[in-house]
Amino acid sequence: MSGDPPGVLGGAVPRIEPLGDSALLVTLGDVIDLELNRQAQGLAAAVERLRRSGADRRFGRPVPAYASVLVPFDPLALDADEARAIVAGLFDGPQPPGTDEPGEVIEIPVRYGGDDGPDLAAIAAAHELTPADVVRLHSEADYRVYFLGFAPGFAYLGPLPAAIVTPRLATPRERVPAGSVAIADAQTGVYPFALPGGWRIIGRTDTPMWDLRRDRPSFLQPGARVRFRAIG
Amino acid sequence: MLEVLEPGLLTTVQDSGRPDWTHLGVPIGGACDGWSLAVANLLTGNGPGLAAVEMTLIGATFAVHSPITIGLAGADLGGVVRESGRRLMPGRTHRLDGYTTIAFGGDASSSTAREYLAVPGGIDVPLVLGSASTALGAGFGGIDGRRLQPGDVLRPASTNGGSETGGATRPDVVWPALADDPLGDLTADAPIRILPGPAEGLEALAAVEWRVAAGSDRVGLRLEGPSIATGETGPAREFVSHGVVLGAIQVPAGGAPIILLADHQTTGGYPIAAVVISADHSRLGQLRPGASVRFAPVTLEDARVALALQQEALARGTASLRDDAGWDELWQSAGG
Repeated sequence: MSGDPPGVLGGAVPRIEPLGDSALLVTLGDVIDLELNRQAQGLAAAVERLRRSGADRRFGRPVPAYASVLVPFDPLALDADEARAIVAGLFDGPQPPGTDEPGEVIEIPVRYGGDDGPDLAAIAAAHELTPADVVRLHSEADYRVYFLGFAPGFAYLGPLPAAIVTPRLATPRERVPAGSVAIADAQTGVYPFALPGGWRIIGRTDTPMWDLRRDRPSFLQPGARVRFRAIG
Repeated sequence: MLEVLEPGLLTTVQDSGRPDWTHLGVPIGGACDGWSLAVANLLTGNGPGLAAVEMTLIGATFAVHSPITIGLAGADLGGVVRESGRRLMPGRTHRLDGYTTIAFGGDASSSTAREYLAVPGGIDVPLVLGSASTALGAGFGGIDGRRLQPGDVLRPASTNGGSETGGATRPDVVWPALADDPLGDLTADAPIRILPGPAEGLEALAAVEWRVAAGSDRVGLRLEGPSIATGETGPAREFVSHGVVLGAIQVPAGGAPIILLADHQTTGGYPIAAVVISADHSRLGQLRPGASVRFAPVTLEDARVALALQQEALARGTASLRDDAGWDELWQSAGG
Protein backbone atom coordinates (compact mmCIF):
# COMPACT_ATOMS: atom_id res chain seq x y z
CA MET A 1 0.00 0.00 0.00
CA SER A 2 2.87 2.36 0.72
CA GLY A 3 3.80 2.16 -2.98
CA ASP A 4 0.61 3.98 -3.99
CA PRO A 5 0.80 7.64 -5.05
CA PRO A 6 0.68 9.90 -2.01
CA GLY A 7 -2.70 11.55 -2.76
CA VAL A 8 -4.47 12.16 0.51
CA LEU A 9 -7.73 10.54 -0.50
CA GLY A 10 -6.65 8.96 -3.79
CA GLY A 11 -5.66 5.39 -4.44
CA ALA A 12 -7.33 3.53 -1.61
CA VAL A 13 -10.61 1.68 -2.04
CA PRO A 14 -12.42 2.29 1.24
CA ARG A 15 -15.05 0.13 2.89
CA ILE A 16 -17.86 2.32 4.23
CA GLU A 17 -20.11 0.37 6.61
CA PRO A 18 -22.59 1.41 9.29
CA LEU A 19 -21.41 0.79 12.87
CA GLY A 20 -24.77 0.78 14.63
CA ASP A 21 -27.53 3.21 13.61
CA SER A 22 -25.66 6.48 14.09
CA ALA A 23 -22.11 6.08 12.74
CA LEU A 24 -20.21 4.94 9.67
CA LEU A 25 -16.88 3.17 9.92
CA VAL A 26 -14.70 4.02 6.91
CA THR A 27 -11.92 1.43 6.66
CA LEU A 28 -9.01 2.23 4.35
CA GLY A 29 -6.98 -0.89 5.12
CA ASP A 30 -6.35 -3.61 7.69
CA VAL A 31 -2.73 -2.86 8.53
CA ILE A 32 -0.79 -0.17 10.41
CA ASP A 33 0.74 1.89 7.64
CA LEU A 34 1.90 5.52 7.37
CA GLU A 35 0.19 6.17 4.02
CA LEU A 36 -3.14 4.68 5.13
CA ASN A 37 -2.91 6.79 8.27
CA ARG A 38 -2.36 9.97 6.21
CA GLN A 39 -5.46 9.10 4.20
CA ALA A 40 -7.47 8.46 7.37
CA GLN A 41 -6.46 11.83 8.83
CA GLY A 42 -7.18 13.51 5.50
CA LEU A 43 -10.69 12.09 5.46
CA ALA A 44 -11.29 13.03 9.11
CA ALA A 45 -10.16 16.59 8.30
CA ALA A 46 -12.52 16.70 5.32
CA VAL A 47 -15.49 15.60 7.48
CA GLU A 48 -14.49 18.12 10.14
CA ARG A 49 -14.37 20.92 7.54
CA LEU A 50 -17.85 19.94 6.39
CA ARG A 51 -19.03 20.29 10.01
CA ARG A 52 -17.14 23.51 10.72
CA SER A 53 -18.36 25.22 7.58
CA GLY A 54 -21.81 24.94 9.12
CA ALA A 55 -22.95 23.18 5.96
CA ASP A 56 -23.46 19.89 7.71
CA ARG A 57 -24.17 19.65 11.41
CA ARG A 58 -25.77 16.29 10.78
CA PHE A 59 -22.34 14.72 11.27
CA GLY A 60 -20.55 14.31 14.60
CA ARG A 61 -16.84 14.69 15.37
CA PRO A 62 -14.92 12.17 13.20
CA VAL A 63 -12.50 9.82 15.00
CA PRO A 64 -9.44 8.86 12.93
CA ALA A 65 -7.43 5.77 13.90
CA TYR A 66 -4.56 3.84 12.20
CA ALA A 67 -6.34 3.17 8.92
CA SER A 68 -9.97 4.12 9.50
CA VAL A 69 -12.30 6.97 10.41
CA LEU A 70 -15.43 6.69 12.54
CA VAL A 71 -18.00 9.20 11.27
CA PRO A 72 -20.96 9.72 13.66
CA PHE A 73 -24.19 11.08 12.21
CA ASP A 74 -27.66 12.00 13.45
CA PRO A 75 -29.90 9.13 12.30
CA LEU A 76 -33.02 11.30 12.55
CA ALA A 77 -31.55 13.87 10.16
CA LEU A 78 -29.85 11.50 7.74
CA ASP A 79 -30.28 7.85 6.82
CA ALA A 80 -27.26 5.58 6.55
CA ASP A 81 -27.32 5.50 2.74
CA GLU A 82 -27.37 9.31 2.51
CA ALA A 83 -24.56 9.55 5.05
CA ARG A 84 -22.55 7.00 3.09
CA ALA A 85 -23.06 8.91 -0.18
CA ILE A 86 -21.89 12.18 1.39
CA VAL A 87 -18.78 10.55 2.88
CA ALA A 88 -17.99 8.69 -0.36
CA GLY A 89 -18.25 12.03 -2.16
CA LEU A 90 -15.42 13.41 -0.01
CA PHE A 91 -13.05 10.94 -1.68
CA ASP A 92 -13.57 12.77 -4.97
CA GLY A 93 -13.05 16.20 -3.47
CA PRO A 94 -9.86 18.28 -3.61
CA GLN A 95 -6.96 17.29 -1.44
CA PRO A 96 -7.59 18.92 1.92
CA PRO A 97 -4.95 21.58 2.54
CA GLY A 98 -2.63 21.20 5.46
CA THR A 99 -3.49 17.61 6.32
CA ASP A 100 -0.14 16.24 5.40
CA GLU A 101 2.33 19.07 5.36
CA PRO A 102 5.39 17.82 7.19
CA GLY A 103 5.07 20.01 10.28
CA GLU A 104 7.94 20.77 12.59
CA VAL A 105 9.21 17.96 14.79
CA ILE A 106 7.90 18.10 18.36
CA GLU A 107 10.61 17.08 20.81
CA ILE A 108 9.92 15.20 24.04
CA PRO A 109 12.82 15.03 26.56
CA VAL A 110 13.04 11.64 28.30
CA ARG A 111 14.95 10.22 31.26
CA TYR A 112 15.55 6.65 30.11
CA GLY A 113 16.07 3.60 32.35
CA GLY A 114 16.45 3.27 36.10
CA ASP A 115 13.33 3.85 38.18
CA ASP A 116 11.88 5.88 35.32
CA GLY A 117 12.17 3.02 32.82
CA PRO A 118 11.90 -0.29 34.68
CA ASP A 119 11.53 -2.41 31.51
CA LEU A 120 14.51 -0.97 29.59
CA ALA A 121 17.04 -3.62 30.64
CA ALA A 122 14.69 -6.53 29.86
CA ILE A 123 13.92 -5.13 26.39
CA ALA A 124 17.62 -4.75 25.68
CA ALA A 125 18.30 -8.33 26.83
CA ALA A 126 15.43 -9.71 24.73
CA HIS A 127 16.94 -8.20 21.59
CA GLU A 128 20.60 -8.89 22.56
CA LEU A 129 21.26 -5.15 22.69
CA THR A 130 22.64 -2.89 25.41
CA PRO A 131 20.22 -0.48 27.15
CA ALA A 132 22.18 2.34 25.47
CA ASP A 133 21.42 0.78 22.05
CA VAL A 134 17.69 0.73 22.86
CA VAL A 135 17.80 4.38 23.97
CA ARG A 136 19.70 5.38 20.82
CA LEU A 137 17.27 3.53 18.51
CA HIS A 138 14.20 4.89 20.31
CA SER A 139 15.44 8.48 20.35
CA GLU A 140 16.86 8.59 16.80
CA ALA A 141 13.61 7.73 15.03
CA ASP A 142 10.98 10.16 13.76
CA TYR A 143 7.48 9.12 14.81
CA ARG A 144 4.05 10.04 13.53
CA VAL A 145 0.99 10.45 15.78
CA TYR A 146 -1.27 7.82 14.21
CA PHE A 147 -4.18 8.81 16.45
CA LEU A 148 -5.20 9.48 20.05
CA GLY A 149 -7.14 6.91 22.02
CA PHE A 150 -7.14 4.75 25.17
CA ALA A 151 -7.20 7.90 27.36
CA PRO A 152 -7.34 11.69 26.81
CA GLY A 153 -4.02 12.81 25.33
CA PHE A 154 -2.63 9.29 24.77
CA ALA A 155 -0.99 9.32 21.31
CA TYR A 156 -0.20 6.12 19.43
CA LEU A 157 3.22 6.84 17.83
CA GLY A 158 5.09 4.85 15.24
CA PRO A 159 6.68 3.16 13.51
CA LEU A 160 9.14 1.91 16.12
CA PRO A 161 12.55 0.76 14.74
CA ALA A 162 12.23 -2.96 13.94
CA ALA A 163 15.18 -3.87 16.17
CA ILE A 164 13.25 -2.92 19.34
CA VAL A 165 9.72 -4.08 18.47
CA THR A 166 8.52 -5.88 21.62
CA PRO A 167 5.13 -7.35 22.57
CA ARG A 168 3.05 -6.02 25.46
CA LEU A 169 3.47 -7.38 28.99
CA ALA A 170 1.50 -10.60 29.52
CA THR A 171 0.01 -9.09 32.68
CA PRO A 172 -0.70 -5.34 32.58
CA ARG A 173 0.41 -3.14 35.49
CA GLU A 174 -2.37 -1.77 37.67
CA ARG A 175 -0.75 1.65 37.68
CA VAL A 176 1.66 3.14 35.16
CA PRO A 177 2.92 6.56 36.40
CA ALA A 178 2.10 9.77 34.53
CA GLY A 179 4.71 10.67 31.91
CA SER A 180 5.89 7.06 31.42
CA VAL A 181 7.35 6.54 27.95
CA ALA A 182 6.54 3.02 26.81
CA ILE A 183 6.56 0.68 23.83
CA ALA A 184 4.22 -2.08 22.62
CA ASP A 185 4.68 -4.00 19.37
CA ALA A 186 5.75 -1.45 16.73
CA GLN A 187 4.41 1.57 18.65
CA THR A 188 5.50 3.93 21.37
CA GLY A 189 3.59 6.40 23.53
CA VAL A 190 3.50 8.48 26.69
CA TYR A 191 1.00 7.86 29.51
CA PRO A 192 -0.73 11.26 30.05
CA PHE A 193 -1.63 10.46 33.66
CA ALA A 194 -1.46 7.42 35.94
CA LEU A 195 -3.38 4.55 34.33
CA PRO A 196 -3.42 0.79 34.24
CA GLY A 197 -1.42 -0.42 31.25
CA GLY A 198 0.45 -3.26 29.55
CA TRP A 199 3.04 -1.30 27.56
CA ARG A 200 6.73 -1.75 28.50
CA ILE A 201 8.10 1.32 30.27
CA ILE A 202 11.52 2.57 29.12
CA GLY A 203 11.62 6.11 30.52
CA ARG A 204 9.75 9.14 31.77
CA THR A 205 9.13 12.72 30.61
CA ASP A 206 8.10 15.82 32.54
CA THR A 207 6.35 17.29 29.49
CA PRO A 208 2.61 17.15 30.30
CA MET A 209 0.74 15.28 27.57
CA TRP A 210 -2.67 16.43 28.90
CA ASP A 211 -3.27 19.80 30.52
CA LEU A 212 -6.76 21.30 30.72
CA ARG A 213 -5.32 24.77 31.39
CA ARG A 214 -4.04 24.90 27.81
CA ASP A 215 -6.28 25.99 24.92
CA ARG A 216 -5.33 22.72 23.28
CA PRO A 217 -5.34 20.30 26.22
CA SER A 218 -3.53 17.57 24.28
CA PHE A 219 0.21 18.16 23.73
CA LEU A 220 0.09 15.99 20.60
CA GLN A 221 -2.43 16.18 17.74
CA PRO A 222 -3.18 13.51 15.12
CA GLY A 223 -0.56 13.59 12.35
CA ALA A 224 2.10 15.42 14.41
CA ARG A 225 5.78 14.43 14.04
CA VAL A 226 7.54 13.51 17.26
CA ARG A 227 11.09 12.74 18.38
CA PHE A 228 12.32 11.74 21.83
CA ARG A 229 15.55 13.21 23.26
CA ALA A 230 17.56 11.49 25.99
CA ILE A 231 18.34 13.71 28.98
CA GLY A 232 20.40 12.97 32.08
CA MET B 1 -28.40 23.27 48.43
CA LEU B 2 -27.65 19.64 49.15
CA GLU B 3 -24.71 18.34 51.16
CA VAL B 4 -23.51 14.77 50.67
CA LEU B 5 -23.57 12.82 53.95
CA GLU B 6 -23.08 9.36 52.47
CA PRO B 7 -22.17 9.01 48.78
CA GLY B 8 -23.52 5.50 48.18
CA LEU B 9 -21.98 3.03 45.75
CA LEU B 10 -21.16 5.27 42.79
CA THR B 11 -22.67 8.74 42.70
CA THR B 12 -21.43 11.27 40.14
CA VAL B 13 -22.46 14.49 38.42
CA GLN B 14 -23.42 13.75 34.78
CA ASP B 15 -24.99 15.68 31.91
CA SER B 16 -25.40 14.76 28.26
CA GLY B 17 -21.63 14.29 27.82
CA ARG B 18 -18.83 15.81 25.73
CA PRO B 19 -19.03 14.46 22.16
CA ASP B 20 -16.62 16.95 20.56
CA TRP B 21 -13.28 15.72 21.93
CA THR B 22 -13.22 12.08 20.85
CA HIS B 23 -10.38 12.77 18.38
CA LEU B 24 -8.16 13.51 21.39
CA GLY B 25 -9.12 10.27 23.17
CA VAL B 26 -11.70 11.90 25.48
CA PRO B 27 -14.63 9.54 26.25
CA ILE B 28 -18.06 11.04 25.52
CA GLY B 29 -19.29 10.04 28.99
CA GLY B 30 -22.50 11.57 30.35
CA ALA B 31 -25.51 9.90 31.93
CA CYS B 32 -25.71 6.14 31.34
CA ASP B 33 -29.49 6.53 30.92
CA GLY B 34 -30.00 9.66 28.85
CA TRP B 35 -33.79 9.28 28.84
CA SER B 36 -34.05 9.43 32.62
CA LEU B 37 -31.55 12.32 32.79
CA ALA B 38 -33.86 14.18 30.38
CA VAL B 39 -37.03 13.35 32.35
CA ALA B 40 -35.53 14.43 35.69
CA ASN B 41 -34.39 17.71 34.13
CA LEU B 42 -37.62 18.45 32.24
CA LEU B 43 -39.68 17.83 35.39
CA THR B 44 -37.53 20.39 37.18
CA GLY B 45 -37.97 22.98 34.45
CA ASN B 46 -34.55 22.44 32.88
CA GLY B 47 -33.39 21.63 29.36
CA PRO B 48 -33.02 17.86 28.96
CA GLY B 49 -29.22 17.63 29.04
CA LEU B 50 -28.26 19.68 32.13
CA ALA B 51 -26.04 18.36 34.94
CA ALA B 52 -27.79 16.08 37.46
CA VAL B 53 -26.74 13.51 40.05
CA GLU B 54 -26.46 9.91 38.82
CA MET B 55 -26.80 7.31 41.60
CA THR B 56 -26.08 3.61 41.09
CA LEU B 57 -27.76 0.67 42.92
CA ILE B 58 -27.20 2.17 46.38
CA GLY B 59 -27.78 5.91 46.28
CA ALA B 60 -26.59 8.81 48.39
CA THR B 61 -27.81 10.47 51.58
CA PHE B 62 -28.04 14.27 51.47
CA ALA B 63 -28.60 16.97 54.07
CA VAL B 64 -31.06 19.53 52.65
CA HIS B 65 -29.88 22.91 53.98
CA SER B 66 -32.53 25.11 52.39
CA PRO B 67 -35.89 24.48 50.71
CA ILE B 68 -35.52 23.12 47.17
CA THR B 69 -37.51 21.30 44.51
CA ILE B 70 -35.86 18.20 43.05
CA GLY B 71 -36.85 16.06 40.07
CA LEU B 72 -36.28 12.30 40.17
CA ALA B 73 -36.29 9.80 37.31
CA GLY B 74 -35.01 6.34 36.44
CA ALA B 75 -34.64 3.51 38.95
CA ASP B 76 -36.44 3.66 42.29
CA LEU B 77 -33.57 3.50 44.77
CA GLY B 78 -35.93 3.73 47.73
CA GLY B 79 -35.71 7.50 48.24
CA VAL B 80 -37.19 8.76 51.51
CA VAL B 81 -37.26 11.90 53.67
CA ARG B 82 -35.71 10.60 56.91
CA GLU B 83 -37.58 12.93 59.27
CA SER B 84 -41.10 12.36 57.92
CA GLY B 85 -40.77 8.98 56.23
CA ARG B 86 -42.19 10.48 53.03
CA ARG B 87 -41.30 8.34 50.00
CA LEU B 88 -39.55 10.08 47.10
CA MET B 89 -40.69 8.28 43.98
CA PRO B 90 -38.99 8.72 40.59
CA GLY B 91 -40.93 10.23 37.68
CA ARG B 92 -41.98 13.36 39.58
CA THR B 93 -40.76 16.43 41.46
CA HIS B 94 -40.64 16.79 45.23
CA ARG B 95 -40.57 19.96 47.30
CA LEU B 96 -38.12 19.50 50.16
CA ASP B 97 -38.00 21.59 53.36
CA GLY B 98 -34.74 22.89 54.78
CA TYR B 99 -33.04 21.07 57.65
CA THR B 100 -34.18 17.66 56.42
CA THR B 101 -32.30 14.58 55.25
CA ILE B 102 -33.06 12.55 52.14
CA ALA B 103 -31.71 9.03 51.64
CA PHE B 104 -31.64 6.72 48.61
CA GLY B 105 -30.63 3.53 50.38
CA GLY B 106 -31.11 1.23 47.42
CA ASP B 107 -33.81 -1.30 46.76
CA ALA B 108 -32.64 -4.83 46.00
CA SER B 109 -36.03 -5.68 44.52
CA SER B 110 -35.70 -2.93 41.90
CA SER B 111 -35.18 -4.19 38.36
CA THR B 112 -33.23 -1.09 37.33
CA ALA B 113 -29.87 0.37 38.31
CA ARG B 114 -29.63 4.17 38.10
CA GLU B 115 -31.63 7.06 39.50
CA TYR B 116 -31.21 10.72 38.49
CA LEU B 117 -31.72 13.71 40.76
CA ALA B 118 -32.11 17.08 39.06
CA VAL B 119 -32.22 20.55 40.63
CA PRO B 120 -33.48 23.86 39.16
CA GLY B 121 -31.03 25.17 36.56
CA GLY B 122 -28.88 22.03 36.80
CA ILE B 123 -26.10 21.35 39.28
CA ASP B 124 -23.70 24.26 39.41
CA VAL B 125 -20.25 22.89 38.57
CA PRO B 126 -17.68 24.32 36.15
CA LEU B 127 -17.89 23.05 32.57
CA VAL B 128 -14.78 21.19 31.38
CA LEU B 129 -14.48 20.85 27.60
CA GLY B 130 -18.07 22.00 27.36
CA SER B 131 -19.60 19.51 29.81
CA ALA B 132 -20.27 19.05 33.52
CA SER B 133 -19.94 15.27 33.28
CA THR B 134 -17.50 13.51 35.58
CA ALA B 135 -14.80 11.73 33.54
CA LEU B 136 -13.75 9.20 36.19
CA GLY B 137 -10.88 7.61 34.23
CA ALA B 138 -9.17 10.90 33.39
CA GLY B 139 -10.18 12.64 36.62
CA PHE B 140 -11.87 15.83 35.40
CA GLY B 141 -15.39 17.27 35.24
CA GLY B 142 -18.16 17.10 37.82
CA ILE B 143 -16.70 17.71 41.27
CA ASP B 144 -12.91 17.44 40.95
CA GLY B 145 -13.24 14.63 38.43
CA ARG B 146 -14.28 12.08 41.05
CA ARG B 147 -17.26 10.34 42.56
CA LEU B 148 -19.07 12.33 45.24
CA GLN B 149 -17.81 12.05 48.82
CA PRO B 150 -19.08 13.18 52.22
CA GLY B 151 -18.98 16.97 52.58
CA ASP B 152 -19.47 17.74 48.87
CA VAL B 153 -22.00 20.52 48.36
CA LEU B 154 -24.34 20.55 45.34
CA ARG B 155 -25.80 23.93 44.44
CA PRO B 156 -28.58 24.53 41.93
CA ALA B 157 -27.56 26.89 39.12
CA SER B 158 -30.95 28.62 39.43
CA THR B 159 -33.06 29.38 42.47
CA ASN B 160 -36.42 29.38 40.75
CA GLY B 161 -36.14 26.89 37.92
CA GLY B 162 -35.49 27.07 34.25
CA SER B 163 -37.97 28.17 31.63
CA GLU B 164 -37.62 25.12 29.41
CA THR B 165 -40.89 23.57 30.57
CA GLY B 166 -42.59 26.72 31.73
CA GLY B 167 -40.72 26.84 35.03
CA ALA B 168 -42.25 23.59 36.16
CA THR B 169 -40.76 23.71 39.60
CA ARG B 170 -44.03 23.33 41.44
CA PRO B 171 -44.25 20.47 43.90
CA ASP B 172 -45.73 17.24 42.62
CA VAL B 173 -45.14 17.66 38.92
CA VAL B 174 -45.58 14.17 37.49
CA TRP B 175 -44.10 12.88 34.24
CA PRO B 176 -47.10 11.84 32.15
CA ALA B 177 -47.71 8.15 31.51
CA LEU B 178 -46.73 7.62 27.88
CA ALA B 179 -46.86 4.87 25.38
CA ASP B 180 -43.33 4.21 24.01
CA ASP B 181 -41.65 4.99 27.33
CA PRO B 182 -38.34 3.11 27.00
CA LEU B 183 -38.24 2.34 30.71
CA GLY B 184 -41.70 0.84 30.39
CA ASP B 185 -40.14 -1.51 27.87
CA LEU B 186 -37.32 -2.34 30.24
CA THR B 187 -39.54 -3.51 33.06
CA ALA B 188 -41.55 -5.46 30.45
CA ASP B 189 -38.36 -7.47 29.86
CA ALA B 190 -38.32 -6.77 26.12
CA PRO B 191 -35.16 -7.88 24.30
CA ILE B 192 -32.40 -5.35 23.60
CA ARG B 193 -32.43 -4.61 19.87
CA ILE B 194 -29.19 -5.06 17.93
CA LEU B 195 -27.74 -4.44 14.47
CA PRO B 196 -25.01 -6.56 12.85
CA GLY B 197 -21.41 -5.54 13.57
CA PRO B 198 -18.34 -5.90 11.35
CA ALA B 199 -17.55 -9.32 12.91
CA GLU B 200 -19.68 -12.45 13.07
CA GLY B 201 -21.69 -13.37 16.14
CA LEU B 202 -25.11 -11.70 15.76
CA GLU B 203 -27.01 -15.00 15.68
CA ALA B 204 -25.01 -16.42 18.59
CA LEU B 205 -25.84 -13.32 20.67
CA ALA B 206 -29.54 -13.61 19.85
CA ALA B 207 -29.68 -17.38 20.49
CA VAL B 208 -29.47 -17.43 24.29
CA GLU B 209 -30.25 -15.47 27.44
CA TRP B 210 -27.29 -13.57 28.94
CA ARG B 211 -26.56 -12.43 32.46
CA VAL B 212 -25.00 -9.08 33.39
CA ALA B 213 -21.76 -9.85 35.29
CA ALA B 214 -20.64 -8.22 38.53
CA GLY B 215 -17.59 -6.53 36.94
CA SER B 216 -19.81 -4.15 34.94
CA ASP B 217 -19.32 -0.39 35.33
CA ARG B 218 -19.84 2.89 33.45
CA VAL B 219 -17.26 1.77 30.86
CA GLY B 220 -18.92 -1.50 29.90
CA LEU B 221 -21.46 -4.17 30.70
CA ARG B 222 -19.86 -7.60 30.94
CA LEU B 223 -22.05 -10.51 29.92
CA GLU B 224 -21.96 -14.09 31.15
CA GLY B 225 -23.05 -16.92 28.86
CA PRO B 226 -21.58 -19.15 26.19
CA SER B 227 -18.43 -18.12 24.30
CA ILE B 228 -18.99 -16.35 21.00
CA ALA B 229 -16.98 -17.03 17.86
CA THR B 230 -16.47 -13.88 15.77
CA GLY B 231 -14.58 -15.42 12.85
CA GLU B 232 -11.72 -13.05 13.66
CA THR B 233 -9.03 -14.73 15.69
CA GLY B 234 -5.89 -13.39 14.05
CA PRO B 235 -3.73 -11.27 16.36
CA ALA B 236 -2.92 -8.83 13.52
CA ARG B 237 -6.54 -7.76 12.99
CA GLU B 238 -7.12 -7.36 16.68
CA PHE B 239 -4.59 -4.59 17.13
CA VAL B 240 -5.63 -2.35 14.22
CA SER B 241 -7.89 -0.35 16.53
CA HIS B 242 -10.62 1.89 15.15
CA GLY B 243 -13.19 4.33 16.52
CA VAL B 244 -15.97 2.61 18.48
CA VAL B 245 -19.49 3.58 19.57
CA LEU B 246 -21.74 3.36 22.62
CA GLY B 247 -23.64 0.06 22.47
CA ALA B 248 -20.97 -1.81 20.48
CA ILE B 249 -20.83 -5.45 21.64
CA GLN B 250 -17.14 -6.35 21.66
CA VAL B 251 -15.98 -9.94 21.86
CA PRO B 252 -12.42 -10.26 23.25
CA ALA B 253 -10.36 -13.41 22.74
CA GLY B 254 -12.02 -15.20 25.66
CA GLY B 255 -15.41 -15.01 23.91
CA ALA B 256 -17.29 -13.22 26.75
CA PRO B 257 -19.06 -10.16 25.28
CA ILE B 258 -18.72 -6.60 26.64
CA ILE B 259 -21.27 -3.89 25.73
CA LEU B 260 -19.67 -0.44 25.63
CA LEU B 261 -21.36 2.11 27.93
CA ALA B 262 -21.04 5.89 28.39
CA ASP B 263 -17.42 6.01 29.59
CA HIS B 264 -16.08 3.66 26.89
CA GLN B 265 -12.73 4.44 25.27
CA THR B 266 -12.91 6.23 21.94
CA THR B 267 -11.09 3.47 20.04
CA GLY B 268 -10.90 -0.30 20.37
CA GLY B 269 -9.44 -3.31 18.62
CA TYR B 270 -11.69 -6.19 19.65
CA PRO B 271 -14.07 -7.72 17.10
CA ILE B 272 -17.57 -6.16 17.28
CA ALA B 273 -20.31 -8.76 16.82
CA ALA B 274 -23.29 -6.37 17.03
CA VAL B 275 -24.29 -2.83 18.02
CA VAL B 276 -27.27 -1.95 20.26
CA ILE B 277 -29.67 0.52 18.62
CA SER B 278 -29.68 4.10 19.96
CA ALA B 279 -33.27 3.82 21.21
CA ASP B 280 -32.15 1.07 23.63
CA HIS B 281 -29.07 2.85 25.03
CA SER B 282 -30.99 4.14 28.04
CA ARG B 283 -32.14 0.61 28.84
CA LEU B 284 -28.51 -0.56 28.75
CA GLY B 285 -27.74 2.04 31.41
CA GLN B 286 -30.45 0.56 33.63
CA LEU B 287 -29.23 -3.06 33.58
CA ARG B 288 -28.11 -4.33 36.99
CA PRO B 289 -25.48 -6.97 37.66
CA GLY B 290 -27.35 -10.29 37.73
CA ALA B 291 -30.07 -9.09 35.32
CA SER B 292 -30.86 -11.37 32.40
CA VAL B 293 -30.69 -9.94 28.89
CA ARG B 294 -31.93 -11.15 25.54
CA PHE B 295 -31.05 -9.68 22.15
CA ALA B 296 -33.21 -9.33 19.04
CA PRO B 297 -31.70 -8.43 15.64
CA VAL B 298 -33.55 -5.59 13.86
CA THR B 299 -33.00 -3.53 10.71
CA LEU B 300 -31.53 -0.03 10.40
CA GLU B 301 -35.02 1.22 9.53
CA ASP B 302 -36.46 -0.38 12.71
CA ALA B 303 -33.71 1.38 14.68
CA ARG B 304 -34.52 4.76 13.14
CA VAL B 305 -38.25 4.39 13.75
CA ALA B 306 -37.66 3.35 17.39
CA LEU B 307 -35.46 6.40 17.99
CA ALA B 308 -37.98 8.71 16.32
CA LEU B 309 -40.76 7.32 18.54
CA GLN B 310 -38.64 7.90 21.62
CA GLN B 311 -37.87 11.51 20.65
CA GLU B 312 -41.54 12.03 19.97
CA ALA B 313 -42.45 10.60 23.39
CA LEU B 314 -40.01 13.00 25.06
CA ALA B 315 -41.48 15.92 23.10
CA ARG B 316 -45.04 14.90 24.04
CA GLY B 317 -44.07 14.63 27.71
CA THR B 318 -42.42 18.05 27.57
CA ALA B 319 -45.48 19.60 25.90
CA SER B 320 -47.72 18.07 28.55
CA LEU B 321 -45.61 19.61 31.35
CA ARG B 322 -45.84 23.02 29.62
CA ASP B 323 -49.62 22.72 29.32
CA ASP B 324 -49.92 21.86 33.01
CA ALA B 325 -47.78 24.86 33.92
CA GLY B 326 -50.05 27.00 31.72
CA TRP B 327 -53.16 25.73 33.53
CA ASP B 328 -51.58 26.47 36.89
CA GLU B 329 -50.97 30.06 35.84
CA LEU B 330 -54.54 30.45 34.61
CA TRP B 331 -55.84 28.97 37.85
CA GLN B 332 -53.72 31.30 39.96
CA SER B 333 -54.54 34.42 37.92
CA ALA B 334 -58.23 33.52 38.24
CA GLY B 335 -57.79 33.67 41.99
CA GLY B 336 -57.76 29.89 42.49
